[in-house]
Order: sequence, then structure tokens, then C-alpha cells
Amino acid sequence: MEQRMSSTWRLTVNEKNFIETALLADLRVDGRRPFDYRPLSIKFGREDGSSEVQLGETHVMGYVTSQLVQPYRDRPNEGTLAIYTEFSPMADPTFEAGRPGESAVELGRVIDRGLRESRAVDMESLCVVAGKSVWAVRVDLHILDNGGNLIDAANIAALAALSTFRRPECTVGGEDGQEVIMHPPEVREPIPLTIHHLPVAVTFAFFSEGNILVIDPTYKEEAVMGGRMTATMNMNGDVCAVQKAGGEGVMMSVIMQCLRIASMKAADITSKIKSAVDAYNTERALRNVKRHPSSIAIDVGVSEVAMQEDQVDDLRKDEQILEDKLRASSSGNIGLTGAETSSSRKREKKTGGNNGEPFIGGPSNWDPYPKEISSSYIRSSQALPGPLTLNDEQEVTKAAQKSNLSHVDTAANVSDAPTETITSMNPQTSSPKSLKDAVKKKNRKRR
Amino acid sequence: MEADLSNPCPQSLINKNVVPGDVVLDLSSMVNQTVKLGVGLRQECDSLSVFKAGKLRFLKPNKYWVESSHKRYVPSAEDTVLGIVVDSKPDNFLVDIKGPSLAFLPVLAFEGGTRRNIPKFEVGTLLFVRVVKANNSMNPELSCTDASGKAAEFGPLKDGYMFETSTGLARMLRRSPTCPVLEALGKKMSFETAIGLNGRVWVNAPAPSTIILVSNAIINSEFLSGAQQRIMVEKLVQRFSDA
Repeated sequence: MEQRMSSTWRLTVNEKNFIETALLADLRVDGRRPFDYRPLSIKFGREDGSSEVQLGETHVMGYVTSQLVQPYRDRPNEGTLAIYTEFSPMADPTFEAGRPGESAVELGRVIDRGLRESRAVDMESLCVVAGKSVWAVRVDLHILDNGGNLIDAANIAALAALSTFRRPECTVGGEDGQEVIMHPPEVREPIPLTIHHLPVAVTFAFFSEGNILVIDPTYKEEAVMGGRMTATMNMNGDVCAVQKAGGEGVMMSVIMQCLRIASMKAADITSKIKSAVDAYNTERALRNVKRHPSSIAIDVGVSEVAMQEDQVDDLRKDEQILEDKLRASSSGNIGLTGAETSSSRKREKKTGGNNGEPFIGGPSNWDPYPKEISSSYIRSSQALPGPLTLNDEQEVTKAAQKSNLSHVDTAANVSDAPTETITSMNPQTSSPKSLKDAVKKKNRKRR
Repeated sequence: MEADLSNPCPQSLINKNVVPGDVVLDLSSMVNQTVKLGVGLRQECDSLSVFKAGKLRFLKPNKYWVESSHKRYVPSAEDTVLGIVVDSKPDNFLVDIKGPSLAFLPVLAFEGGTRRNIPKFEVGTLLFVRVVKANNSMNPELSCTDASGKAAEFGPLKDGYMFETSTGLARMLRRSPTCPVLEALGKKMSFETAIGLNGRVWVNAPAPSTIILVSNAIINSEFLSGAQQRIMVEKLVQRFSDA
């Protein structure tokens, strides 16, 4: 008992008096004027049919799901729409987990009435087989934070979620022609709901016997107010639903004034919802367009490039070994080979940069024409039976290497005789040249 | 961050953000010294480690604690807080101080309080009180007097407007020298405030518009630097005088 008393939020006498006296001077505690809405932000989730609405400090999440069910007997060719509310105790300590409270039921009913009785969502288009299977659309509204005026925020969340929701396409077919085939979203684009208009709820709070009227009350104002009225209207100025709660009686003229203001606010909010939904739809379309070409490009590119690099690495290693041996064998190299080795050294340095770092393949940073591999080279390697040509090349280089090694050995053995050295030098310089030519050829192409 | 046991350097962590698990102090090197721990720190064998995220504070000669901002309040003795009267019992008023349980305010804990002159508070009265006792197993105990038994500004607050903020903002407002937002506002208009360490702030002024301006300026200042606070106040006052 005491635990509950300590957790409930309470208003002091000071706040109550101050809110009332300030309202007499047309002032509201958060600095707004009486007919100002709090800043509204609408966000969408990654999946279709999820929305998150923030109205000042109030935070509501909407989520729409659907499934095929048997229709009601009196409406065999209409789908169903149901609103479920979830008041989390995290949002407000007065909300109890599990059992829906009075406010939760009222909130669900007001939104349900506004959407259903105004026939905002086309129910007949949700029918698959009359009397057999129709779509049942379920809207879940989660209150994440209670900063006052939950009805408006939840209603906007429901509208935004419904506007972006897409149900999977299904056709009737099969052997007996009665089977319902559901197409997964990858096969056929899911179809959005048909929404004729957006009924927007606008809540007013009445103070001091209905003489003072404010729009979009905060939770503190809700604790002080005498009465409340929610008018659900669409952009065309049609009244879809009206809910009057609280004890205070209100004059007819005041209600008419409320409806005029509500229609203006409804048009304003409708345009906000529509622009948010449009932005989401364009982003969604872009997301779908991007997916296919990038994935194909990765599959082709990565494997091909990786293979080439390995081969080139092997070649370079061979070259390196060869050069080292050469240097060891004859310190008095003639200028030609010295120049050759130094130039190949440079090349080694230049190209060596990409040996160490791992190849990063990704849809965004994959470049079809990397710095060192020309497009013509890739094309030729793709056109020819790739592995076969590579094997040939490898064999050639191995053979060349073998001959080279033998030459080096002989050179080391007979290094004392100058004439012999020169003669043996010639094949030496020529044989690495042939190898280097092979490498060079590649390198030239790779530039 | 700093988990090097061989060379703990507490000076480097002071006024820095710490997270649970950080080792603040090595006790093995300081024999025959007394260290006083506040919230968010605990002793583990020879070291002091943090178990709450926040800023590490140090007060000479030997007091360490972790400061953080919450929407809830954990009562601690000698804090001055704003409470709301929930119920009155023959011996105690039950007062809500945003803590995990209601606090007791003995009916005699007023200046010159006797059985004859028990004050009457209706439910919802706002009180500026001092926490006298706070521990885990009992409800906190409050008092409307200072340590010497004088009233000293404690007691019910009349009129004005009360709003709730975080404990971090309340501490910032209470800091000395006066925080920029209150200083800037004070230059432009006259108002009265009472700031409780439990994150409740009461503002009073002759005109309701001043109260609204001051309270919104305070709420806005939570995550602003000193210069930003002054600019924000400047702009608010400008808009207010235009309207």
C-alpha cells in the first residue's frame, strides 16, 4: 500500500493554483500559447508498418501486423481492423502492468472509432476469398513515455504505421482454384493498404468551468483540467468522432469553436504525416533499387581479384629470391643487371603496399577498376578460361626459375674465371629478363 | 580506463568520468590513512573501485564520491530537499521526496514545536525540508529545522510553481559560484527559488510570466555550457519582451 503511494506521481497545491492563474492570463507553463501544439516528430522503423511518434515529451510507438482469418459472418467480404494498446509502467508509474486501465481502454476506443467508423481504411480490399479468408489488420500502440495528450500522439502513431504498412500479396489458385497462395516479399512487392483519408484526433482541455480552452494538454495540465474533448477530423473538415470526457459542461458555441480549430490542426498534422510517409517511401524505394546490382558485382569481383593477387605474389617472391641469389653470387655486377634489379626493387616497393593489407570487399567501396588492375586485364582474364591460363603461366615461370637457379649455381662455381663469368652472365641477364618480361608485361597491364 | 594496480594515479581520475569497475585508489600504498567514501565507490581488498557511472569527485583531505544525474533520488542525511505532503498521521506527516519510500516528518520537528502547536498541512503542500536520517532499512526522517533547531527558511512554500528535473541539474543550480543561468536571469528580473537536491525546483515571482520564463530557462539549461546558458537566457528574455 505504502509502496504504491510512494510511486504514484502527485501534483502539489502550488502547481495546481499556478497553472490555473497563469491560464487566466493566457499563459501555459511550458511557454506555449493556448492553441499551440507541441513539436511533433514522426520516425519510422526498418520494417514496414512501424512508427514512432514524439509529441513533446509524449512518446508512442505504433506497430501494424496482419494475418489471414475467416471473416465475420455478417460481413463476409470485409477485412478487420483492431487496435490494441499497451501501457507500459515505464511510461508512467500510475500505469499497471498487465491489466489495461481505464485510460488504456478509452484511448483504444477513441482511436478505433475514429479509424473504423469513418471508414478510413478500405476494408473490402482486404478480402481474399469472400466468406473464407480476409486480412485481419492489427495495430499495436505502445505508450513509451507519458507527457500528456496520449490520444493524439497514439492516433498519429497509428496513422503513420498504417500508411507505411504493406501486406504480402496473395492470389487464389492451386488445384481446386480455392487455395490461397501467399507470395513472399522477395517475389512480389507487398501492397500497401488503401487509406481514403487520415482522421486526426485533436484534444482540448477545459479549465475553470469551460471558460478556458487549451489544445494538446501536458500531463500537468491534464491533472488540473476540468474536462477534455477529443475531436477526430480529417483534412476535408469531416468530423469522424468526438469524445467528451470529464465532468465539465461545455457550451455548444465552444464545441463549434473547437471543431473549427481542430479542422485546422488536423490539416496541419495530416500534411506532416504525409510528408514523413513520403520521405519514408522514397528511402524504401532507394533501398530496394540498390540491393541487386551491388550484390552481383561483389560475387564476380572479389574472387577474381583475389586469385590474381595470389599469382602475382608468387611471381614476386620468385623474383625476389632470384635477385638475392644473384647479388650473393656476383658482387661485381655489371651495370645492366644492377639497373634491372634496382628498377624491379622500386616496382616491388610501389606494388608492395597492397600485399600486406587485406582486401576489403564491400558493396559500397568495391571499385570495379582498382588502381593497379586495368579493366582490359580483367576482361581478358574473364574471357579466357581463367584458371587454365594461370596454370600455364605458373608453369612457365617455374621452368624459367629452374633454369635460372641452375645458371646461378654455375656462375657461383666458376666466378674466378672472368671470361667464364661473362659468358655465364649473358644467359643470366637474359634469363631473368625473360622472367621479368613476363612480370613486366603483367605490371604494365596492371598500371 | 585506469586499472593499473601497480601505479594508480587518483589525481588523474578526479573530475573525470568513471564507469563501474574502474580502480580509483590503491590502499596498499597508503597505510595509516583514513579515506572517506561517498556514493558509487566501494572497497575491494586493497583497492577502491567504482560501481556507478558518473564523475569522480574529491574533497580535501580524504573524501571521494561519484556524482551522477538521475531522475530518482536516493535520500542521504543532511540533504535539503523539496517534499510533498501525502498524508498526515498523529505522529508524522508522510512526505514524498522522490525516494524509493515515503519519508516521515515528525510533527514536532519544527522550531519550537510542541504538542500544542502542531501545524496543519493539507495534502499536496510543498515543503522545504532537511533529511535527518537515511538508511536502507527505515523510511527516511525529515526535519523542518536546521541542526541548531532554528526554522532557517525550512517549512511550507506558498504559491509559486514547482517542477521536477534531474538531480544533476539541481546540483548544478546549487553550486557556488552561482551557475550562469541563474546569474543571467537574476540580472534581468527578480524571482525566488528553492532547489531541492532531489531534483525539485520551486520558483516564485510576482508575475506568472516571470515564473514561466525562469522555469523554462532552468529546464533548458540542463545540457548547456555556461556561455550557451547566457545566450539562451538572453534570447528568451528578448522573445518575452517582444511578445
